[in-house]
Amino acid sequence: MNVRKKFVRVDWPVFLLVIALCGAGLLNVYSGTRVFPSSGIPLFYKQMIWILLGVTVFFFFCFFSGGFIEEFAWHVFLTVVAVLLVVLLVGKVRGGAQRWLSLGIFTFQPSEFAKIALILALASYFSGRYSYEGLGFRDLVPAVGITLIPFLLVALQPDLGTAGVFLIILVAMMVIACVRAKVFFLVGVGGALAVPGLWFLMKNYQKQRVLTFLDPGRDPLGAGYHVIQSKIAVGSGGLLGKGYLQGTQGSLRFLPEQHTDFAFAILSEEWGFAGSVVLLLLFLALVYRMYYLASQSQDRFASFACGGLASYFLAHIVINVAMVCGLFPVVGIPLPFVSYGGSSMLTNMMALGILASLSRTRFTFQTGEQKSLSA
Amino acid sequence: MKGRIRKREQDPWIASRVRILQGVGLALFFLLLGRLYWLQVVKYKEFLKLSEINRIRIRVVRAPRGVILDRKGEWIGVTQGSYDLIVTPVDVEDLDGELRLLSKVVEFDPGEIREKILKAKKANPYRSITVARDLSFEQVSVVEFNREALPGFSILVEAKRSYPSGPEFAHVLGYVGEASEQELAAAREGRFSQGDIVGKYGLEKARDDVLRGINGGRQVEVDAAGRDKRLVSEVPPRTGGAIQTTLDAGIQMTAYKAMENQAGAVIALIPKTGDILAFVSTPAFDPNAFSRGIRKEEWALLLKDPRTPLQNKGLQGTYAPGSTVKPFLALTALETGVQNPNARVRCDGSLRLGNRTFRCWKERGHGWVDMYKAIVQSCDVYFYSLGLKLDPDHVASLERSVGLGVLTGVELPGEKTGLVPDTSWKREVMKSRWQSYESLLLGIGQGAIHVTPLGMVSGYAAIATGGKVMRPRLVSRVVRMDGTSEEFPPVLQRDLSWSPHNVAIIRRALEGVVNDHGTGGAARLPGIVVGGKTGTAQIVSIKGKMIKSEDLPYEIRDHAWFIGFAPVSDPEICVVALVEHGGHGGSAAAPLVKAVMEEFFRLKQDAEKGGDQ
Repeated sequence: MNVRKKFVRVDWPVFLLVIALCGAGLLNVYSGTRVFPSSGIPLFYKQMIWILLGVTVFFFFCFFSGGFIEEFAWHVFLTVVAVLLVVLLVGKVRGGAQRWLSLGIFTFQPSEFAKIALILALASYFSGRYSYEGLGFRDLVPAVGITLIPFLLVALQPDLGTAGVFLIILVAMMVIACVRAKVFFLVGVGGALAVPGLWFLMKNYQKQRVLTFLDPGRDPLGAGYHVIQSKIAVGSGGLLGKGYLQGTQGSLRFLPEQHTDFAFAILSEEWGFAGSVVLLLLFLALVYRMYYLASQSQDRFASFACGGLASYFLAHIVINVAMVCGLFPVVGIPLPFVSYGGSSMLTNMMALGILASLSRTRFTFQTGEQKSLSA
Repeated sequence: MKGRIRKREQDPWIASRVRILQGVGLALFFLLLGRLYWLQVVKYKEFLKLSEINRIRIRVVRAPRGVILDRKGEWIGVTQGSYDLIVTPVDVEDLDGELRLLSKVVEFDPGEIREKILKAKKANPYRSITVARDLSFEQVSVVEFNREALPGFSILVEAKRSYPSGPEFAHVLGYVGEASEQELAAAREGRFSQGDIVGKYGLEKARDDVLRGINGGRQVEVDAAGRDKRLVSEVPPRTGGAIQTTLDAGIQMTAYKAMENQAGAVIALIPKTGDILAFVSTPAFDPNAFSRGIRKEEWALLLKDPRTPLQNKGLQGTYAPGSTVKPFLALTALETGVQNPNARVRCDGSLRLGNRTFRCWKERGHGWVDMYKAIVQSCDVYFYSLGLKLDPDHVASLERSVGLGVLTGVELPGEKTGLVPDTSWKREVMKSRWQSYESLLLGIGQGAIHVTPLGMVSGYAAIATGGKVMRPRLVSRVVRMDGTSEEFPPVLQRDLSWSPHNVAIIRRALEGVVNDHGTGGAARLPGIVVGGKTGTAQIVSIKGKMIKSEDLPYEIRDHAWFIGFAPVSDPEICVVALVEHGGHGGSAAAPLVKAVMEEFFRLKQDAEKGGDQ
């Protein structure tokens, strides 16, 4: 397939939705950082650079063939696992957890990339195992093993939020890969029994966060305070919001991490219920489109990978917004494209680039291009 | 590549499974929309009001530090209530005006405080910070009376570290103060926040991890003037863990009192365990001044004082040991078999080496002296010749093994090693050859050698135990915040396995110093046999004639040493006293050691009597 055709077959609805979301995010970063600017380059400009880099990454991955991506799924996965090991051993400690790897000029969070790598690895595994009778227990054991490796490495950092996303990805992909309903039920029961075990794995501050979530008054200076203030920000936005740059909660530094994890609070304070709904509809459209591409694809690997990627976005969006609204404990999960941050922007753009590339397989039978796919 | 494409018609099963996920996604989005509707539409008015008035203020409730106990359980570091002036930046109306008003009542530097408040305002204007600590009753009344004119400021009772006895424990316990920028930056996140009190010096710093508690917090709703109206929620602070030290408050006080106005150090320890009973450095300072926030003038005064009150002379001051090293030379000679203890040396008051003359402190000379008499009379000529006979590396090795010129490992920050020279030091550091006059000076503890009082007492404790070098122990038990306790048993650092016969010769000589017309008669105790050694560390050598140190100006007077242990037969206590510019060890330092030992045995007797009843 030549470059022009590849370009034409980029999934433009996805791309346009992303550009719209990035634009909203950029405006929001400006609002969130204007009162107390950080030293150095303003984050607004930095975010702009991240978006441009992100778009480049998107197109870069677009032009890979689906077969090439499948071919390299396992290499990528093993590399990421190795990098996670390195992070655990030498990573920078920020906020009490070792999540960051310093690359000279900037630090990045390999656990973000690990999510994509896991999706590709699971898609590759499930597409090889696919059966019309549905998958049973035996098919699941390796899949659980594949997930547990990065899960444990990230949980030890410790970053339970990200580790939790790995599990969500696994479950979502089990659904798409047609695991039998009965098996699902039994796995669900087993998982419910494992929750108390997880409690022992948690560090004190994580337990504290869960408890704070259950009872926000517990830690009025820390996480509980964040949740209360975040709810005030969202609630005081009302139907139509206070107006752009008119928010008071954020600008008065009531909100912690206002431009990153709590970016949505600023947005809904300034744009109100109407703005929040518009943003959520954009996200919903994006996720729906991704699932649609997953169901349309003619190639099983592509289907599973696209479904996994869609679920990954769904998880991030829902967890972040629920956290801001006080429906979920405070975990370090950013809102895609809206929260400030380089690692997250690049990972998300890469994910969509891969999706755009894989989703081309739905044209396969219309144009008879099997050869180019495997080339 | 093999054809990996699994071509298929659109798989209806996969498509239906994807629809399930789509359904889950849709449901979750509706859940979020519902929640947003609830917060933004239904509860709008309530939240709007909260955001408009935003009258919730955050008050940090500082955790009290844990107590510090002496070996008998007496509290030597406690926590007291203190009236502190706090400010919530957002409620301040006229910062400069209010500060001007306050500066009439409260002693602080308005410029410094102004900067602090502006910085806090940037970080979180709703969080109150402490601007002045430990106000007097009068100051509190004036501030309370003028509340209307001071919006944003209020009085809060907070925990303050307090030392009941004051300067007596200043250097060993140290002091606390507000965490500095560097300390805040170096700490892991969540360890402490702006305005927290941390250990800055001494034991407070060394075991800050145990002593510091966990801050609590209050969210309060305030009225328009910033006054607390309603407590929204509260998390109580947790008091820090407790530390039991090996110190004995009675002995510490005695040692401090005995020093009077002199500068120097007194350390007492139990040779068998290394337990530090007293650790005094003078001149001292009042650690309580740091707890309330030391004023600039006070601080400047401490820094400027030529007698360095902020230095712990016991482990940071290094001095030439003078004659106090003589027992170590004698022991080296005995252990290496270089000198028979009965061999005699003729002292005519001086010794010639090349074209230089080295004098004995006794101008007339001691006549014929053997090892016993040489130590008892502190004969310099005997030890000059012994120094020349010994291998300097053997001497250095023995001295270092007992704690001289090395770190003893005491649990206090800032310990210095001092220096014990040997030939490789001379070669590598000084880039020259070892000279014979250096061997000679080695014999009387002059030249390059300089040691800390702590190193010295560790060395004599080793003679007292017959070669068992214990690590000086200051903390015997720690009870952490979570209730777990940890014991710190004595640590044997080295067992030198000296010949008991040789050790007995040295001990007998040290006994003679105090009891057999020797230089240390001033340390004699009735009923208890004390052994020890005097020392006088020269600062300048006066050529020509002998001048009594007492007749020299203070700054160039000699340092006086005395180190002793008692009872000689089975030592229970070992004490060092160093008096800076004190003159002769026998007259300036020995009485201090005597006073400390007297108190030790008196307390022991009291305890035994108490036990009998």
